Amino acid sequence: MTALALALVIPWAAGSVLALLDGRRRLVGWLAVAVLAANLAALVVLAAQVLSEGQVAATTGDWPAGVGITLRADALGVLFAVLSSLALLAAAVHEVLDGVRERAFPGLVVLLATGLNGVFLTGDVFDFYVFFELSMTAAYILATYGGTRRELGAALVFTAVNLLGTFIFLLSVAGLYHVTGTLDMAQAAVRLADVDPNAAILIAVGFFGAFSVKLGLFPFHFWLPTVYTGARPAVAAILSGGLANIGAYGLLRFGGELLPGELALASTALIVIGSASILYGGVLAISRRTSSEMLAYSAIGQVGYVLVAIGVGGHVGFAAAILYSIVNALNKTLLFLTVGMRGALVGAMFVLGALSVAGVPPAAGFIGKLELFRAAVESPAVLVLFLVGSALSFVYVFQIYQFDFWRGERSGPLSGWPQQSLVAVIALVVLAMGLWPEPLLALSHDAADVLARAAG
Amino acid sequence: MKLAFALAAATLFGTGAYLLLHRDLVRVVLGVVLVSQSAVLTLIASGLTRGAAPIYPLSERDVSDPLSQAMALTAIVIGLAVTSLLLVLVLRVVQAFESRDIDEVAEEEAEHDAVLERRHAREHEDEEAAAR
Repeated sequence: MTALALALVIPWAAGSVLALLDGRRRLVGWLAVAVLAANLAALVVLAAQVLSEGQVAATTGDWPAGVGITLRADALGVLFAVLSSLALLAAAVHEVLDGVRERAFPGLVVLLATGLNGVFLTGDVFDFYVFFELSMTAAYILATYGGTRRELGAALVFTAVNLLGTFIFLLSVAGLYHVTGTLDMAQAAVRLADVDPNAAILIAVGFFGAFSVKLGLFPFHFWLPTVYTGARPAVAAILSGGLANIGAYGLLRFGGELLPGELALASTALIVIGSASILYGGVLAISRRTSSEMLAYSAIGQVGYVLVAIGVGGHVGFAAAILYSIVNALNKTLLFLTVGMRGALVGAMFVLGALSVAGVPPAAGFIGKLELFRAAVESPAVLVLFLVGSALSFVYVFQIYQFDFWRGERSGPLSGWPQQSLVAVIALVVLAMGLWPEPLLALSHDAADVLARAAG
Repeated sequence: MKLAFALAAATLFGTGAYLLLHRDLVRVVLGVVLVSQSAVLTLIASGLTRGAAPIYPLSERDVSDPLSQAMALTAIVIGLAVTSLLLVLVLRVVQAFESRDIDEVAEEEAEHDAVLERRHAREHEDEEAAAR
């Protein structure tokens, strides 16, 4: 309970103070890094608590249960929270080592961490919206970071499209409240079982649209390449490694826990959209010549796998979706951070990330792909699709590797050792997860259990 | 009453979505504002009871649902904040591009792509020449 409160209060209070300070000063940058590290520590303590004792819950403001807003940490929530704050911490350290260019950057990253923690640790639908909007607002400003015309244009597209997405989410929240009379997720999940299916389907479609925009799935992806290639590497890593987790988490939480019946109904549609995403992302990534563009399209393809796994559903499907979201977020954080870096270690670390994206052992991506294959073992069509998708990703990552490291198309100054070692640490995490996957597998199955229990 | 709310929210959303598709950035902002108003209206309409204002001490009559009003208030505040953020963003784009036409922003992106494309084509030619 203390850890739950700390995980929200630390970044919130620190973020508001940091936002007032001049972030270009090294001290302020490192202060933000310290806050993010403290935040990560609080989340790890919370995760240990949740995994040993089960769900931790609290009601804000000493209201009686059922009236106040509930905060709750379960295995699914803390897993995503830890993962996202890890990505944010890595990106923040990377940028501070490089030298922060705008005064707002450190404060915004910390506020974004607050929003993400809140989203993953709340048990209230409207509270979810508030934290969702908090993290998105920080992200809108972060997208302009760098301040050139390209970044401004990209940020404008990002903001306009995602605002529409969050308002569609809000419309669905209103619908959910009207038909169930509650905002508490656990209560709503129980009551939704008796709701008129037509209304429930409409609400489900709204949630799906909102989270798909966030994830950048195929028909909702149009904003994504511009933003990911336009933004600075650290910001792209934050967006794809931290913020995009909201999409995967939201689909799992709202689809798997609140609307399991509607999810099962839409299973085929989800698999088709996910497949389209995988193929579209893969084919377009092959046609790209720079690493940031390749990664942007690869991000579209990789979330397709998550959606297909959610579409397959059941305990195995959800576990695969969770595991793959984790692996994918780490891959993207690692690879986006290496964009624009040069040095002795960078090539090797890029290869590790590339192996992970393609799903080749010993990198963590292999475990993710293995779980996906296990989930889809009953439908040959999906298996073939996964194979094709993996082959495409193998081609696009190593094609870029050739362009960048063999032909030496990356120019610019060599990156410093601190930055290179940071990237090396993330790469080693990816490698370690591939070599010793048991903890990660157990965690993702624990998290999937939460959804299976809720669905009854 | 439900129908009136539904029609009003639908009209707001439709108009907002239409404006969002415009080239003029100021209209895009107005579109976002209208869509946010449509969401607020839906929140208000989602209230479960109708009646007197829910002010303590509660009256004998039925009170209207306070929760949906609290949600609507929060949504209005958030909507105001993001609208002002979007306006600032548009202002900076207008200053940087000296235009408020989204096409010009997109053109910049296309030009950037074309430059990359040309550079690669040139390098490939070099390689082929070297191979010969």
